Amino acid sequence: MRKFKIIFRPDNLTVEAEEGKTVLDAAVSAGIDINSSCGGEGTCGKCKVRVLKGAPDILTSGLISPRERKNKVFPACLTVIRGDLEIEVPENSRAAFDAFTAEEPSGIMPETKEGEFKRSPLFASPKGSVFNFGFSFDIGTTTVAGQLTDLNTGKILGTKISGNRQAAFGSDIITRIVYAEKPGGLKKLNRAVLESMGRIIESLAEENKIPLKEIHGILCSGNTTMIHLLLKIDPAWIRRQPQLSVPSFPTLTAKKAGIKINPAGILKCIPGVSGYIGGDTVSGVLAAGFYREEPLCMLIDIGTNGEIVLGSREYLAACAASAGPAFEGSGLSCGMRAVSGAIQKVEIDSKTFKSAYLTVSGDPARGICGSGYIDLLSEMLQRGIIDKNGKISAEGKHIRSTDNGKEFIVVSGEETRAGQDIVVSETDIENLKRSKGAVYSACAVLARHLSLDLSAVSRIFISGGFGSRLDIEKAVRIGLLPDLPREKFIFLGNSSLSGCRKILLSQDALKEAFSIASRITYFDLASDPGYMEEYGRALFFPHTDLDKFPTVKF
Amino acid sequence: METNLTLEKYPGLISTVTIGSEGEELTVGGQNALPLLFKEGNIPNPPKIAFEVWDIFPGDFDPELLNIYGEEAKDPFAWAELGINKCKADLICLRLQGAHPDYGDKNASKIAGFVEKFLCRIKVPLVIIGSGDDIKDNLIMPACSEAARGRRCLLGSAVQDNYKTLVASALADGHNIIAESPIDVNIAKQLNILISDMGLPLERIVIDPTIGALGYGLEYAYSIMERARLAALSGDRTLASPFICMAGQEAWKSKEAKEIPGQGAIWEALTATSLIQAGADILVMRHPKAIEETKNHINILFGGK
Repeated sequence: MRKFKIIFRPDNLTVEAEEGKTVLDAAVSAGIDINSSCGGEGTCGKCKVRVLKGAPDILTSGLISPRERKNKVFPACLTVIRGDLEIEVPENSRAAFDAFTAEEPSGIMPETKEGEFKRSPLFASPKGSVFNFGFSFDIGTTTVAGQLTDLNTGKILGTKISGNRQAAFGSDIITRIVYAEKPGGLKKLNRAVLESMGRIIESLAEENKIPLKEIHGILCSGNTTMIHLLLKIDPAWIRRQPQLSVPSFPTLTAKKAGIKINPAGILKCIPGVSGYIGGDTVSGVLAAGFYREEPLCMLIDIGTNGEIVLGSREYLAACAASAGPAFEGSGLSCGMRAVSGAIQKVEIDSKTFKSAYLTVSGDPARGICGSGYIDLLSEMLQRGIIDKNGKISAEGKHIRSTDNGKEFIVVSGEETRAGQDIVVSETDIENLKRSKGAVYSACAVLARHLSLDLSAVSRIFISGGFGSRLDIEKAVRIGLLPDLPREKFIFLGNSSLSGCRKILLSQDALKEAFSIASRITYFDLASDPGYMEEYGRALFFPHTDLDKFPTVKF
Repeated sequence: METNLTLEKYPGLISTVTIGSEGEELTVGGQNALPLLFKEGNIPNPPKIAFEVWDIFPGDFDPELLNIYGEEAKDPFAWAELGINKCKADLICLRLQGAHPDYGDKNASKIAGFVEKFLCRIKVPLVIIGSGDDIKDNLIMPACSEAARGRRCLLGSAVQDNYKTLVASALADGHNIIAESPIDVNIAKQLNILISDMGLPLERIVIDPTIGALGYGLEYAYSIMERARLAALSGDRTLASPFICMAGQEAWKSKEAKEIPGQGAIWEALTATSLIQAGADILVMRHPKAIEETKNHINILFGGK
């Protein structure tokens, strides 16, 4: 196999790649994270790059406009290497608005209630060792969060989040499962998540001046597919009938798992329920606590897989909404995670349409995170900038037309860090509408299965990577959350991570997690005959059935 | 033996839509029962027939239709008069096909001028439909709407992605509007909400559910219309609009209409009469024989009611 040199700009990285491989493959091996919603199948058009030098083969695609072809802009997954190349990777094609750096999340993680579970750390240090550090990880489809804890004192030393590098192989779990079935696919996906985790581990260890060999264990909470890929278990049966997960997750040594902590350290995973309800949901239920209380409660995870749990100490029912990564900032023109510079609160002036906003950490705006988008949608509806279908229907100096439809300018380039306008486009709104429609309709269907009205729920726990705030009122107004008295809502932050931490520090909590997992009944939405109808109705702001949202008036 | 029928009583009511200028108007809708179930409520308005006329010679039409229209098809006024006098249609449905970029691309002022002349000659209630090209229609429809002010026409069609221009015109000039959805109850409802959010009362909306001819989706359209009607009669005001169905247009697309002489008219009649059972309030038709059969059918069903 002939090998050729591929140079990537503006990163100035050079890799060697085999003839016949694609530019996307080369970018991945160069460590450049290019968007690939469809996992390199050539259908999503998100991986566009520009050929500066060289003559690659371009596979046919309906996604390239004549203008793009003239400018030599092609999807990286359809650009086949036949000789040396120089490639420019535009900002828009890079995965997530910010680079995959490990950053402090701004969210508040609820502290473990003292005395809730007897303290008995999951991992022990070898005899003679004074120190004992452990990690809890929430391995999300889009975002990975890792937390370093001193297992001797129970104190949290730091938390960092990073994008899941598996995004280069697909933005949703089904696409990644399909990718894992390709030769070498499982290995690549496994390496990608290990790299994401490794960066967080190294960063936190360095900041706290802790040698890696003093880290003796990692507890992982994640959805079933994520854990399969982490443990290098073939996930093929998750997506095929009867949609099975491996019945229990093996405990591995760090050496076997491929993680750089003490080689004799342990990698353990929280048990899941089914193919689509994983340890992260179990962990979230543990964190919320309603599994051992009387009142009927609901846990809504507004993440890529949108898991919903409804129940109490009498029963627990769950489903997965498949909401997509929009509320984590992925797939949107100016979307980003809730880290410094992310717009998280917005108000729009009713006359001028100018936006007043707050960013995480107060840094200059770089993009918009989930809570920022929720505020924006609510404000735009309130001000008549968009109609209930999500189409921009106003005019003004903050609204402009582009080739791909209209967009609303939130912050002009003069005020931003990169000098580029921060906008929300009609395509972004469509994506967000679909995400919120998926979450809401999943709640409605689950309630219907249990013959319950959503008004019977006493408390609704919200989990998600929103940073330190989620405006419940606005989330209801756009139809993401059910229209219930606002006091019933409690925002938990990352419940998967907080539950994981409780289990890291208590073996009793681990036993409890197993018990919770065995009690959850899974309801499959894909095979529910009424689901599509319900979903279609939720694709409107707030909902096609306005009666379901009596307190919402625009 | 006495049979006691179980009769349903519905709390909802379909809007009454009035089309046509003062003194020459007709009404559709206003029922509070399912189609033809006269014992369950009030069905004040039998279905109406609209005769379809183009502003240009319909070169695409099946030869059988052109044959029966004869010379009249070359002159929109004569063609419309054929529909009124010979077919006894209740309305004329004027399609401004000549504005379409592929059919003559007539500009807005030419079209508006023509509509003015048409309105002088033709005095029955009018449905005015654009060419089907969104960009062009957004130019011609406001002009036609203004030219037709005072005639309380039924203007078409608003779709979910392009409704604002037409609704604004209907509001400004006092017309009714056709809300077209692609055989989807949710979209029909959403579109009605969007239209009424702009200030047009629900009582000025007629729904075009996009029907298919017999064998080409008739029963799918039927089920959508039935679901929408049931929802409306159960109290959902946003779906409580009369229906308009393009029976002629759809039936004459079929292979069956073209293959055997005489079969086209039957296909159109069967499509139209079946849709009456689904709740069609206005049927837009083409063939005089089909219209005759359908009118007969309506008289029999509604005779004495």
